[in-house]
Amino acid sequence: MNTPAMSADPHTGITRHDRAIAALAAIAIGIQILEAAIPSPVPGLKPGLANIITLIALLTLGWRAAVAVTLIRVVGSSLLLGTLLSPTFWLSIAGAVATLAILALLRPLAPRHVGPVGLAIAAAMAHITGQFLLAWMVIIPHPNLPFVLPPLLLAALITGSLTGILTAHVLADPRIQRHVRH
Amino acid sequence: MKQGLLRWGDVLIGAAATTVVVAAFTLTYSPSGDARLLVISQAGAATQHEPLDRTRVLEIQGPAGITRVEIEPGRARCADSPGRQNICESSGWLQAHGDVAVSLPNRLTLQVLGAEPGFDSMHY
Amino acid sequence: MHPLMTRTLTLFFAALLLTACGREEPDTEALGFYAFGTLVDLTLYPAGQYDIEAIEAAVQEELEVLHQSWHAWEPGSLGRTNELLALQGEFSAPPSVLPLIERGREMEALSDGLFNPALGKLIAAWGFHQDEPEGPPPDQETLDGLLDDPPSMKDIERNGVRLRGTHPDLQLDFGGLAKGLAVERVLELLEELGVEAAIFNAGGDLMTLGRPQGRPWRVGIRHPHGGTLGSIELEAGEALFTSGDYERGYEWEGERIHHVIDPRTGRPSQGIESATVLHHDPALADAAATTLMIAGPDAWLEYAQKMGIEHALVVLDDRIEATPGLAERVQPSRDHEPFVVRELP
Repeated sequence: MNTPAMSADPHTGITRHDRAIAALAAIAIGIQILEAAIPSPVPGLKPGLANIITLIALLTLGWRAAVAVTLIRVVGSSLLLGTLLSPTFWLSIAGAVATLAILALLRPLAPRHVGPVGLAIAAAMAHITGQFLLAWMVIIPHPNLPFVLPPLLLAALITGSLTGILTAHVLADPRIQRHVRH
Repeated sequence: MKQGLLRWGDVLIGAAATTVVVAAFTLTYSPSGDARLLVISQAGAATQHEPLDRTRVLEIQGPAGITRVEIEPGRARCADSPGRQNICESSGWLQAHGDVAVSLPNRLTLQVLGAEPGFDSMHY
Repeated sequence: MHPLMTRTLTLFFAALLLTACGREEPDTEALGFYAFGTLVDLTLYPAGQYDIEAIEAAVQEELEVLHQSWHAWEPGSLGRTNELLALQGEFSAPPSVLPLIERGREMEALSDGLFNPALGKLIAAWGFHQDEPEGPPPDQETLDGLLDDPPSMKDIERNGVRLRGTHPDLQLDFGGLAKGLAVERVLELLEELGVEAAIFNAGGDLMTLGRPQGRPWRVGIRHPHGGTLGSIELEAGEALFTSGDYERGYEWEGERIHHVIDPRTGRPSQGIESATVLHHDPALADAAATTLMIAGPDAWLEYAQKMGIEHALVVLDDRIEATPGLAERVQPSRDHEPFVVRELP
């Protein structure tokens, strides 16, 4: 891990790597807040565009950066939206943890065998599954709740594919491309 | 986009995810419930077990007449039974584990069982 | 490694969605027959250990005797007792009805008169003293007559085995209690016959004797509208009784007339479709289920409290309300809303 990006600013100790994480997290928070402002036809149904940033962090800066960006996004956006430590926040954390877990599992395969689309689909499915499990087991253990899971999984499959394609396009941009790890 | 949009892993994950979605829908909304076995108990007769695998009609002779039981995959119902109050018929389709229909005139209980171990007894 | 990875992933998702299930060999055996005017089911544990036919014959005989003695409108001990009570002279009671009268008195006192076995005439007036109940319902004049100074269990004087009725309208009907007492008798009989563990189920109302080794009894509770409302695990010596407006009744001019008559109005009770009580005393469970139904949606908890019932639920037209004690024990089935838990006063 001694790439030029890691060399710290002599005054602050902040690396370019850190700045990149901060920038990505800031973008992710922005996306998440914009998404929160868009009314959704079904509660809990969101495009999950902020996952693009997690994937970009993973594919350009690595696993730790993806974790950092995601957690900063969850905490940061909930601070701004005023949902810190509310059920929304915990659902968000559950989704993020499940997403990061599946990405950890798939990391050895990327980018050689699995591209952004596969990662995004897996991430979206894991995200909704994590949220669902927390909701069902802790927040509202209603016996009918499993009936909402299949449509949510279908939605995750669709939004996951779309965010995956968007991620691929972002990564194809030459300004990003030079950071991508091959 | 030099490498193309999709790698084999993407296709595999997409296929796996689609399978999960389809499985989730079929498992959750399978229309006919998940009953697998109809247990027919009639006073004074040996208990009869009928798998709920294909559509058919059973006619059970009792002291008050014939109870007609319709069986479909995953569910069964008391379609016609003697008795003025239609208690047996009004139970509708028995499709969830433990559902019962009773025909008192014919001394008959119909109960469907699902995948879980059956109840020891049914309270109604 | 890569295919393995994918397989792990697929398994991970599949495991979330599928619940592993296997069917075990039953460790109990069951028999069913018709007795006490209803279908009787007996579940015996362990399987293969008992002389089923002997047990069936003994239980059937016991129930036959009780049914004849305690029947509210067919000739028998209770019928004879009713005739003699109406004469208002002293007589020697048939021994079989004495426990009914004693428990009936106790239940009337516990329920503040909502459960009143002395109102047989009122029940008969509604057409329930026949095997297939039918109308017409009594007119207001008849009801007013029956409700003006109605009889109560206090109108029976007891001196040893000698009884005397002191009210001209007194007629005993132990619906809502006789089955509870019959269940108690049958369990005693099963114990005498050497049965280790059993569930005795008489037309849906049931009680456990002992329990299987290493597991509780699993009992499904049917919803009045069909399907199962939930399931409950029972320990040894627990009785589960339900009183419901769907059990006996008839249609009259588009209105459903059912058999649980509210002594305050003289009419079928309203508001509660069924009441279910769990208690170790089957007679109390039986009487309390009837009482809670009569008490109605606003007062059922108060009467549960009065009768010392901690485990009860009532089905209303749009929801199921339960005491905290029962809500904790019943696993609601997934087709129904969760219970509305209401604290006892």
